[in-house]
Amino acid sequence: MGKHNNVEHMILNIPSDLKYLGAVDAAIQDLAREFSFSPDAINDVSTALVEACSNAIEHGNHFSKDKRVVVTLRFNGSTFVATVRDEGTGFDFAKAMRDEAGPDPMSERGRGILIMRAFTDDLQFRNENNGLTVELTKLRGGGGDAGE
Amino acid sequence: MKITQREVGSAAILDLNGKLTGGPDADAFRDVFKSLLDQDKKNIIVNLEKVSWINSTGLGILIHNYNTVRRSGGDMVVMHASERIESILYVTKLNLLFKSFNSEEEAVRSFTQATR
Repeated sequence: MGKHNNVEHMILNIPSDLKYLGAVDAAIQDLAREFSFSPDAINDVSTALVEACSNAIEHGNHFSKDKRVVVTLRFNGSTFVATVRDEGTGFDFAKAMRDEAGPDPMSERGRGILIMRAFTDDLQFRNENNGLTVELTKLRGGGGDAGE
Repeated sequence: MKITQREVGSAAILDLNGKLTGGPDADAFRDVFKSLLDQDKKNIIVNLEKVSWINSTGLGILIHNYNTVRRSGGDMVVMHASERIESILYVTKLNLLFKSFNSEEEAVRSFTQATR
């Protein structure tokens, strides 16, 4: 865990394998608890982050052994910001973000953004030259939309 | 993800243990459901008590197998979902698709009531 301008930060660089999601979950749960996030906020932020990492591994890197997912966790006392960067070709997130209703109930796919949006206070996507970056922001006492 | 199978009354109960995230989980689920349906066991309870978390791909696995069971004339319900998983089902509106129970007895009884 590093410290820069009163911001605590940690960087996780994981292979494109779903078995590493547990390590990401454990890291964020421990850190959020250390920074006195409420139990609900901890669950929210962890759920959103695990979803972002799942998407990066599956849809961004397509489970490629040659590609990595870089997760950056930053806390400044009241706000938590995570970025998840893959090495894929990006996607049309603007279109996906406009679809607030989500998929048909019987559809097996298409709920990732719904989950990330519901459990964070802000969600941003950036298509970059060497991959997609997802930025998730959670306020320490924030609830997102989940369960409200 | 570890799946253990048992039976109570007319219901087959699948006790899951671990994280439901896709990958090999999808194959394991498909095999177990196929085996149950081949034996004409169509009342299936998925016990989520020991599932620490689930992602959107894991939800897709549940929906896929739910659809398979429904097409076969059976039903699939879930039980003992944690608060964390209940909130995921809520935001994705899957609480409207999956009947969810807090007790095994109620989950088993739901099949009997449905066929009356």
